[in-house]
Amino acid sequence: MPILPRLSALRDTLFRRKRLESELDAELAAALETLADRYVASGMSPEAARLAAHAALGGLNGIAHVKEEVRDVRVGRSLEATIGDLRYAWRGLQRTPGFGAVAILTLGLGIGSTTAIFSVVRTLLLSDLPFQDGSRLVFVWHDLSARGYPRAPLAGPEIVDLRDRARLFSGFGGIWSNTTVLTGQDPEQLRIGLVTHDFFSVLGAAPALGRTFKAEDAAPTASGTILLSHALWQRRFAGDPAIVGRTIQVNNRATAVVGVMPPGFRPMMPPDASVPDDLQAWLLLHSSFTTWPRGQRFLRVVGRMKPGVRLADAQQEIDAIGIQLAREYKRVGIYGPMESGRALYAVGLHADGVREVRPTLLALFAGVSLLLVVACVNVASLLIARAAARSRETAVRIVLGADTRRLFRQYAVEGLLLGALGGAAGLLVGRGCLALLVSLRPATLGRIDAASIDPGVTAFAIGLALTWGLILSLGPLAQARSADIFTSLQQASRGGGSRLLYRRRAALVVFQLALSVVLLVSAGLLARAFVRLANVDPGFAWDNVVTFRLSLSGPRFEEREAFHAFSAQFRSRLAALPGVIAAGAISHLPYDDLPNWGTPYVPDGRVDRGERPTADTRAITPGFFEAVGARLIEGRFFTEADTAASTPVAIVDERLARHAWPGESAIGKRFTGDPYTNGHASVLVTVVGVVRHLRHRQLAAETGEQIYYPHTQAPRNPMAYVVRSSSNPDAVIPQVRGALARLDSTLPIYDPRPLSAYVVAARAARRFTMILAAAFAGAALALAVIGVYGVTAYASALRRREFGVRLALGATRRQIVGLVMGETVRLGALGLVLGLAGAAIAATLLRSQLYELTPGDPLSYALAIPVLAGAVSLAAWLPAQRATRISPMESLRAD
Amino acid sequence: MPRHQTAIVKGTLDLLVLKTLALEPRHGVGVAERIDQITRGTFQVRPGSLFPALHRLEQNGFIAGEWSETPEGRRAKYYRITAAGQRQLAAEKKNWARIVLAVGQILEAD
Repeated sequence: MPILPRLSALRDTLFRRKRLESELDAELAAALETLADRYVASGMSPEAARLAAHAALGGLNGIAHVKEEVRDVRVGRSLEATIGDLRYAWRGLQRTPGFGAVAILTLGLGIGSTTAIFSVVRTLLLSDLPFQDGSRLVFVWHDLSARGYPRAPLAGPEIVDLRDRARLFSGFGGIWSNTTVLTGQDPEQLRIGLVTHDFFSVLGAAPALGRTFKAEDAAPTASGTILLSHALWQRRFAGDPAIVGRTIQVNNRATAVVGVMPPGFRPMMPPDASVPDDLQAWLLLHSSFTTWPRGQRFLRVVGRMKPGVRLADAQQEIDAIGIQLAREYKRVGIYGPMESGRALYAVGLHADGVREVRPTLLALFAGVSLLLVVACVNVASLLIARAAARSRETAVRIVLGADTRRLFRQYAVEGLLLGALGGAAGLLVGRGCLALLVSLRPATLGRIDAASIDPGVTAFAIGLALTWGLILSLGPLAQARSADIFTSLQQASRGGGSRLLYRRRAALVVFQLALSVVLLVSAGLLARAFVRLANVDPGFAWDNVVTFRLSLSGPRFEEREAFHAFSAQFRSRLAALPGVIAAGAISHLPYDDLPNWGTPYVPDGRVDRGERPTADTRAITPGFFEAVGARLIEGRFFTEADTAASTPVAIVDERLARHAWPGESAIGKRFTGDPYTNGHASVLVTVVGVVRHLRHRQLAAETGEQIYYPHTQAPRNPMAYVVRSSSNPDAVIPQVRGALARLDSTLPIYDPRPLSAYVVAARAARRFTMILAAAFAGAALALAVIGVYGVTAYASALRRREFGVRLALGATRRQIVGLVMGETVRLGALGLVLGLAGAAIAATLLRSQLYELTPGDPLSYALAIPVLAGAVSLAAWLPAQRATRISPMESLRAD
Repeated sequence: MPRHQTAIVKGTLDLLVLKTLALEPRHGVGVAERIDQITRGTFQVRPGSLFPALHRLEQNGFIAGEWSETPEGRRAKYYRITAAGQRQLAAEKKNWARIVLAVGQILEAD
C-alpha cells in the first residue's frame, strides 16, 4: 500500500479539516443535484426529485450519517477525534474559567506539594549515600547510656582494636572535627576534619584533584599534608589548577596540598556526630592518637563491611568486640556499667544519618499524599457536578446514538487535560515549595538542599498528574453510564443531579472540614509551644551580644604563660572598647556544632567505682558569665587571679550541686575532675561558685550537669568570644578587629555573628515544623473551602426550583440565605466536632513537640472554631447570594 | 449495518469501483449508475454507501479526485484510477479469480 498518499491524507485530516469538510459538502451537494437532475429527467416534479435524491443518497440515517462514515475512513481519524475532544475540553474550561482555575489550582497544589516532598524523600531516604557501595558503611557508637550519653564517640585505641579484631570489615576510618589556622598573608581560621589516613578510602570518596591521604602521610616523620574542600580551593586559592603539590602554611607549618575534594562532597556523618558537612579542609590526626587514653572519647568511626556481609552479622561482631573490651578493661573502669548490655554498637551509616528526619519525612509524605487525594476527590466532585449539569446534553447524545466508547474518550481526554494542566501547575508549585523548604530548613535537614526537581521527580509528577487525570475522568463516566437516559432527561429538567450524589459529597466535605480542624489545632498547638519556648529562660541572655572565634596559635603562643598573657591582654582591650559592658570567652558557644565536651567527676571522699557521673564541661575566661548574664546562685565568678599556678577551681551549675551535695552548700566542696581531658578524674578541684543551669545544648529542657573550669586551668584553643555592648552590637566587630590588629596583625577572627543567631538556629527545627503544620492547615482549609463551596452550590442548584417557588410566594432574600447557609452550617458543625475529637488524638502524637504545653491546651482548640466558622461562611456565602437572585419566573420556566 | 457483512461487501465494492473507474473517470453518482447498469441491477449500490468507499480508495492513493464539469454543466468531483490503483485492480482481479475458482471447485465436487 503506498505510503505517501496516506501520509498526505493524514496531514489533510489533521491540518486541513476545514477544506476536507467543505469539499465533502460540495461533493455531496453536487451528487444530490445530479441525482435530482436524473429524477427530473425521468419525469418527477422538482420537489419530489429533491426528496428522492436525499433518500437515495442518505438512506435511512440521513446525509449527516454518510458524512460521518466518510470521516470515519479518513487516515488518522481517531487521532483527529481525540484532538477534537481536546479542543472541546479546552473550550469547556474556557467557558467555565472559575471551575477551570479552581480545578487546576487544586490539582497544582496537591501535585506540587507531593512532588516537593517526594524530591526530599528521594534525596534523603531513597537514594543511597553518594559514596562507592555506600550501603556497606556503618557508623560505630559507644553506648554510655549509664552516664547519659547513648551515642558517644570512640577513643583512639579503640579503632585499633576494631581493625585488629573485626573479621567482617575491610576497614575502619576515623574523623574528628576541629579548627586550625591558615597562616601567612591574611590569616584565616578553618573548620577542619582530622582524619585517619584511610578515612576517605573507607568512605569510598574520591578526590576531584590529586589524591586523598595514604599510610605514608601518617608516619611520624612525614611532612604535613592537607586535603582541601572544593569551596576553599575556589575561594582562597582562586581554583589554582596547579594547587596539588603546592606548599601552604597551616598553623605556621609548611603543609603540602595533596588533593581537592569534589564540589558536592559531604562526609555525611550522623547529625549528632558533630562532624559538620561543610568542613573546609582535612588534616591527618596526630600519629600518636592511637595511644591516647581510652577515656578520651573523640573519634567518630566509620566501618566498611566486606562485600556480601549482612548488617546484622556485622553488628553482632561489633557488639561482641565491645563486650570483650569491657571485660578486658573492667579493672580500669573505662567502660562503666553496661545498662544496655553492650559497649560498642554499629548502625548503618545511611539509616543513622536519617534516623531523626525519617519519621518526620514519611509523615510529611503521607500528609501531602492525603492532601493530594483530598484535592483530587474535590476536583472529581466538581467534575461530577459539572457532568450532572450536562447530563441532559449527555442523555441527548446517547439518544442520538453516540457510542459509549466515544463518551469515555471524551471524559478521559477531559480528565487528562485537567491532569496535564494540574501537573504543569504542580511542577511550578513543587519548585516553589522545594525552594521554600530549602530556605527554611533547619540544620538537621541541611542535606535537603541536594534535592531538586530532576527528571526522576518530574516523571513522578507527570505520572501522578496523568494517573489522577484518568481517575478523575472515571467519576463523570460512571455517572454517565449509570444514568438511565429517561431519568436523567427528567432530572436534567429539574436542575440536574441527585440527592444521593449530594450526600456523598457532603460526607466528603465533612471529612475535609474535620481534617482541616485537626491540622489547625495542631498548627495552633505548635505555634503556642513555639511562642512559649521563645519566652523560656535559658539561664543566659543573648540580646546585644556578639560572638566571634579566635585561635591563638603559632610559635609565639607555645609558651603557656605567653598564651594566657595575650588572652588576658586582649580581653582587657575588649572590655575597654566604647560601649562594651562585658567581654569573655568560652570553649563552646551555646548551640554550637562543636562536639560536646563531657568529663567525669568524683565528689571528694567518695570511691570511684567506675560509676562516675559525667558533666558537660566548658572552659571559660573571667567576663564570660558577666557578658551572657548568667546568674550566680552562690560563691563567685572566675577572676584574673585564677591562674594556671593557683588552686584548681571550678564553678558548677545548680543541678550538679544538688546531685553531688544535696541539701548542702557546694561552695568549698571538692571533687576530682578532668580539666585536661585525659580520660581520668585526676585533679582535685574546689568549687568556688554555683550558677543557674545554662541551657546551652537544648532550649526545651535542662540537659546534664555542668562544670565550668577557668581557661587558665583547662586550656582550650580556639575560644569563642562573647561581647555585650550597650550600643549597636554590629558596630562592635570592626572595633574588635582593630583592637586585635594592634596586638597582633597576623591573627584572624572568624564566625562573627550575634549570639542570637545561634539561638535562632537552635529553634529552627521547631520553627520549621510549625511553619509546615501551618502550611498544611492552610492548604487543608483552602481545600475544605473549595469543597464547601462546591457542595453548597450543588445543593442550592438542586433546590433552585424550590427557592424560586418560595421567592414567588414571598420569601425574603434573608430567608433564602438562611436556607442555603443552614445546611452548610450543619455540615460545618459536624466537621468541627469530628475535627476537634481527631485533634485531641493527634495532639498526643505531638506531645514531644509541645514543650510545656499540654496536648489539651484549650486556647489552641478554641482558636480553630472561629477560623473554621469564618471559612465555612465565606465558602457558603456566594452560592447563598446567588440563590437569592433566582428570578421566580425564570426558575419555573426553566422546565 | 452489521459489521461482519460490511467487510465482504467492502472488498467487493472496492474491486467494482476500481474496475468501473479503470474504463474512464466518473463522479460518485456516475460510478453507482455504471455498476447498476453493468450488473443489470444485481448490485444496487446506494450512492450513500459508495462515498466512504471512494474516500477510502482515494486516501490509499488508488484513485484520485478532481473537480470538473458534468455534461449537464454542473461541477462534480471526478475520480480517476491511478497507477497504484491499476496494480491494485490487477491484484484484486487475480484474487477474485482464485476465490471464484476455489468456491466453484467446492460447489462442483461430488
